[in-house]
Amino acid sequence: MLPVKSALLCLLLSVGLYGQAGSLSGVVAGPAGTPAANAKVSAKNRATGQSFDTQTGSDGKYNFADLPPGEYEITASAPDIGEKTSAATVAAGGGQTLDLTLTPPGAPSLRDLGFTPDQLKSNPQEQVRLDKRTHMLKTHQKLGLITTGPLIATLITSARAGGRNSTSSGRELHAILGGSTAALYFTTASFAIFAPKIPGTPTRGPIRIHKALAWVHGTGMVLTPILGAMAYEQRNRGEKVHGLASLHGGVAAVTGIAYGAALLSVTIKF
Amino acid sequence: MPIAGKSLSALLWLPALLGAADAQWILEQSTLTYHISHPLHQVDGASHAAKGKGACHEGQCDFLVAVPVKSFNSGDSNRDLHMIQVTRGAEFPMVTVRFRVPESAAKQTTLNVDLDVEFAGQTAHYKQVPFQPAIRGNEAGISGAIPTKMTDFKITPPSLLAIPTKDEMPIRVEMTWRRM
Repeated sequence: MLPVKSALLCLLLSVGLYGQAGSLSGVVAGPAGTPAANAKVSAKNRATGQSFDTQTGSDGKYNFADLPPGEYEITASAPDIGEKTSAATVAAGGGQTLDLTLTPPGAPSLRDLGFTPDQLKSNPQEQVRLDKRTHMLKTHQKLGLITTGPLIATLITSARAGGRNSTSSGRELHAILGGSTAALYFTTASFAIFAPKIPGTPTRGPIRIHKALAWVHGTGMVLTPILGAMAYEQRNRGEKVHGLASLHGGVAAVTGIAYGAALLSVTIKF
Repeated sequence: MPIAGKSLSALLWLPALLGAADAQWILEQSTLTYHISHPLHQVDGASHAAKGKGACHEGQCDFLVAVPVKSFNSGDSNRDLHMIQVTRGAEFPMVTVRFRVPESAAKQTTLNVDLDVEFAGQTAHYKQVPFQPAIRGNEAGISGAIPTKMTDFKITPPSLLAIPTKDEMPIRVEMTWRRM
């Protein structure tokens, strides 16, 4: 019975949220920045064409308490002071703020400047993509920094994992740290690889070096654990590391250097 | 030209610039450069894509300058995309600057201008921002810096390696206006 009740509750909540209105408020000011009293403010829903009107108080404040969610064209006007049109997106249950400064009559408007409609058009969907991209790349940055710790520890413990001074426990510690580094590394990389791409933005500047170096340390991060596992097996069998496995140290060093350089490429300005 | 000659030329020309009946002004060329300060970086992003117009009527000249947020180039496409994101440039694609210059300003060699800057869906007012005019024939050069802060526009300062940039983001303005 409990799951049925929970499902019903979820359904009621989601239906409630779906039908919920949002609010829009702000201050209308004259060209000099002083509040515009008794200015007319209208909100026109771009999808439905439905229009809502209100008026500012003596402090220039206006408020639409119950607007259906959607994209709106907001126009404020006051006789002898001016007019202003702007855009706002109202979310279900959300409170949006939009301050408007009136443009004096006869003053140039954006339409007079010759921009194309595409340049002036608000694109909330692209903003959502940009927000997601930034969120994922920030996570990429943080995880990338965290990965540096086990990466350095892995390089340090390599002295006890190979060569004359190698021990079984040294190899195991090195393998555990190397495995952790690889796991963190690929998690880090996935946040950059799967971050949304923004069309029409050619890559330029130091980020090109960062991306080019990613091919080097990315390949290295795949090869190093494989070669390491081969070397580990050979040593545990009492053999001297030979064949492809002997490249493990060299590939790991190149990978570590490329990783460090990639980090510096976005840190140091050149 | 000697300095005194330049000043005289400017004083003779400015009333025509600012007070002429129903004169129109077009932004001929411009460079707008924002500056961001971070412990690891000093970043300058410039745009030459601004468009502007000025209309004079009854002793008042109203100017409008607008520039697409996407047109700023800091030399790194990744950084520019982050800037568009934090400034909500896809949702609010233009930065606009409006100012009204009264006829009385013509007597000054430094123009102190009240600015309305609309950016990231917010409007901020800047009082008495000094600009230096430079007169070249039928053109007027104006240069100065708008002391903008990110928080003036409810923008959260972006961060690099978890360290945020400074709130101050002055915009250096170099504009050449041509009288129509």
